[in-house]
Amino acid sequence: MQRDSSSLDKLLENPRLWRGHSQAHAAPGLTSGYEALDRHLPGGGWPQSSLTEILVEHYGIGELRLLMPALAALSAEDNGVNYAEPGWIAWVAPPFQPYPPALQQWGINLSRMLIVRPKDDSEMLWSAEQALSSGTCAAVLLWPEVLEDQASRRLQLAAEKGSSWAIAFRPPAARSEPSAAALRIELLSNSEGTRLSILKSRGGRPAVLHDVV
Amino acid sequence: MSTARHHRSNKGLFDQHSLAFEEPQARQQPQALTAPVLKRLWFCVYLPQLPLEASGPADEARVVVEDQQGIHRVLLASAQAESAGVMSGQSANAALALLPTLRVEERSELAEQQALESLASWLEQFTSVVCFAGPDVLLVEIAGSLRLYGGLLSLRQQIAAGLEQQGFSASLAIAPTPLAATWLAKGGRRACIREPANITAALRSLPLHCLDWPKSICESLTGMGIRNIGDCLRLPREGFARRFGPQRLLELDRALGRLPDPRTSWRAPERFCADYEMTEEQSDRELLLAVCRELLLSLERFLLTRQLGTQRVLFSFFHLRGPATQLSLGCADAERMSDRWFDLLRIRFEQLTLPEAVIAVRLRGGRTQAIRAESGRLWFKGKTAGQKLRFSMTQLAERLIARVGNQSVAGVATVAEHRPQFAWRPKALLADKTVHALSTIRCGACRPLWMLPEPTLLAVDQGYPLHQGRLRILEGPERLETGWWDEEGITRDYYTAINPRGMRLWVFRSRDRNACWYLHGFFG
Repeated sequence: MQRDSSSLDKLLENPRLWRGHSQAHAAPGLTSGYEALDRHLPGGGWPQSSLTEILVEHYGIGELRLLMPALAALSAEDNGVNYAEPGWIAWVAPPFQPYPPALQQWGINLSRMLIVRPKDDSEMLWSAEQALSSGTCAAVLLWPEVLEDQASRRLQLAAEKGSSWAIAFRPPAARSEPSAAALRIELLSNSEGTRLSILKSRGGRPAVLHDVV
Repeated sequence: MSTARHHRSNKGLFDQHSLAFEEPQARQQPQALTAPVLKRLWFCVYLPQLPLEASGPADEARVVVEDQQGIHRVLLASAQAESAGVMSGQSANAALALLPTLRVEERSELAEQQALESLASWLEQFTSVVCFAGPDVLLVEIAGSLRLYGGLLSLRQQIAAGLEQQGFSASLAIAPTPLAATWLAKGGRRACIREPANITAALRSLPLHCLDWPKSICESLTGMGIRNIGDCLRLPREGFARRFGPQRLLELDRALGRLPDPRTSWRAPERFCADYEMTEEQSDRELLLAVCRELLLSLERFLLTRQLGTQRVLFSFFHLRGPATQLSLGCADAERMSDRWFDLLRIRFEQLTLPEAVIAVRLRGGRTQAIRAESGRLWFKGKTAGQKLRFSMTQLAERLIARVGNQSVAGVATVAEHRPQFAWRPKALLADKTVHALSTIRCGACRPLWMLPEPTLLAVDQGYPLHQGRLRILEGPERLETGWWDEEGITRDYYTAINPRGMRLWVFRSRDRNACWYLHGFFG
C-alpha cells in the first residue's frame, strides 16, 4: 500500500503525463453573464485572447444574446477588464444590420461599435486580423463563409497578439472541420428550447446545456 | 454733366467743409487714452510689365497679346519690339508685319499670378508682412526691418537689385499708408515719404488714373475739371461721397492716413514635392515601394523641421508613354510619421495596377497644418497594465478604409425616433465627432438585435404567418402609429414570435386594409 502510493506520486511527477484539469486555472475568463454556462467554461467565463467559434444553423436563436452581457462589459466606460479605455467591438461582415436601439437595451456602448462590410472573404479575414491585432478592439465578431484551418490559426494568433477576443459564427457543417479555436460551441434550437453543446474547450470538458439563453 | 449741376456743386463749396481741411481725428481720438501709434512704412512694388515678364525673359523681341473683341491686340511689347515700332494696342498681324521675327504670346493670367506669388515669397525674407493689392501690386511693410537691413536706402536698394536680377522692372514707392504707396508707385514717382504729414503734399499732383477708380468716375471727374488728387481733395466731402460713393471717400481718407487701413498679410504655403528619377524603367514592385519609402522619409524630415503635419499625400508614378498613375492617401489627422504613411501605402499599393514600367516617382504633400503633439500616458489601469497598443482606433479605421473603402466602415448611433427603421444611423468614424445622440427614446418593449434592411412580406396559412413554419406569438402587440407628418408614416402592431426552429422573430401586422404580416428582424 505504502509502496503503491509513492509510485503513483512518482507517476504524477512525470512531465509526460497530461492531466485534464491541470490547465483549468490557467487564465480567468470573462464572465458570460449566464451562470450555467460559466460553470462549464474553464476559467469561469469566455476565454479571452483567443478564438471562439459558435456554430449556428439559423439566425435569431440566441447566438447574439449569448454574447451580449460580455460585450456590454467590454465596451463599458469603466470595465476594469482589459483596457484603460473602453474597448471597441468590431462586427465584420454581419449578415444583417445590428440594430443600435437593441444593442443599447443590452447595455452596449454604441460609441465603441465598428461595423465593417468587406467585399469578399479574403478582405473579411484581413479586416478581422487587422482589428484583432490592433490592440484597440476588445472583441471582433465575424461571419465567414468558409474558415479554413489555416485561417482560424491566423485569427487565433492575431487575437493573442492584440489580446482581443475573436468570435466566428459558422454553420453546423463546420463541426467536422479542424479548427484552432480555443472554444467551440454549437447552438441548436427548436420550438421547445435551445441546446448548447461545448464541442471543444481548451482546458475544459465537453458538455451539453439546455436553455441557457 | 450739365452746366447747371456743375454750378450747383460749385456753389456748395462755400458752405461745406472741403476734403482737405477736415481733420476729424483730433476730436474722435483723445491723445491721452490711446497707445502710441506704431509707425508703419509701406513699400509698394508695382509691376507694370508683369504680363510680359511672367512668361519669359524680356531681352528679346516679344509681345504679349490679348483677345479684345475677337482681335488679338498687343498688350505689352518688349523694349526690342518697341524699338521696331511695335506698340500696345496694335493688332498682332500689324506687329508681325513690322517685325517678322517677333515672338507673339497669349497672355496667361495664371503665369502672372504664379510669378507674383514667387515674388511675394521672395519678399518674405525682408519682412513678415507681404500683401497682395491687385493683380500686379505687392505691398511690403518695412518699418520693422529698417534697422536690420541698414536703413531705408539700403533696403530699397537691396529689393530693387533683387527684382532686377529676377527680370522684373518694377516701380517702387514708399509711404506711411498702403494706398498712398500704391498710388505713388502707379504714378511712377520714385517717392519715399516717411512722415504721415507729408503724404498730402506728395499725393496732390498725382493724376487720377493712378487711383484705379472706374473709368466712368474718372471721366466725370475730368469733365468737372478735376485732373489730380489735389483737385479731388478740394471738393466738399458730403457732395463727393453722394456723387461718387462713400467707398471713394474712404479710399482717400485711408490714403491720407486719416482712417486705418488694415491689410491681411500673405503666407507662402508650405507644400512638399519631391521626385525620384529611376536610372531605367522599373516594374519591380518591391523596389518601387522602397523608393516610395525613401520619399516618405524626406517628407517626414521636411515636416519635422517645420513642426507640421499633412492629411493627404499624393504619389504619381510616371511612365514613358501614357499618363501617370496617381495614388492618393488620406489620414484622419495631420500626420508626419513616414511609418504610418508607408503602412497605408502598402495596403493600397497591393491593389494598384501599373499599366507599364515606371520611370519616375513623385511625392506631393497636401496642405500642411500645425501638428498637435500628444503627451504620453503615465500609467495604465487594469490587469494588463503597461500593455502597448499597436495602433489607435483612428489608425485602424484608416487602414480598413484604405482597403475596404470608405462606405464599408462605419460606427452607429441612435436617433430619437419611434419608427424602428429611422431609430438609428450610421456614423462616419473619422469625420463624425458627435459622440452622443441628443436624446434617446427608451422603448419599453424589447427590440431585436438583427434588423432587416426592408421588412419582408410573410405568407399566411389559416391566419397564421409563416416563416420556416407556422409562427407562434410570444409577446405583443406593441402599437406604433407615428410619422404622419411625412410620406413614410407607419401604423403597425409589432409582435415577438417564435417559429418551429426556435428562431425568435420581430414581426408586424400593418393596420391598413390588407392587414399583411411582415418580418422586420431577428432577436439574435
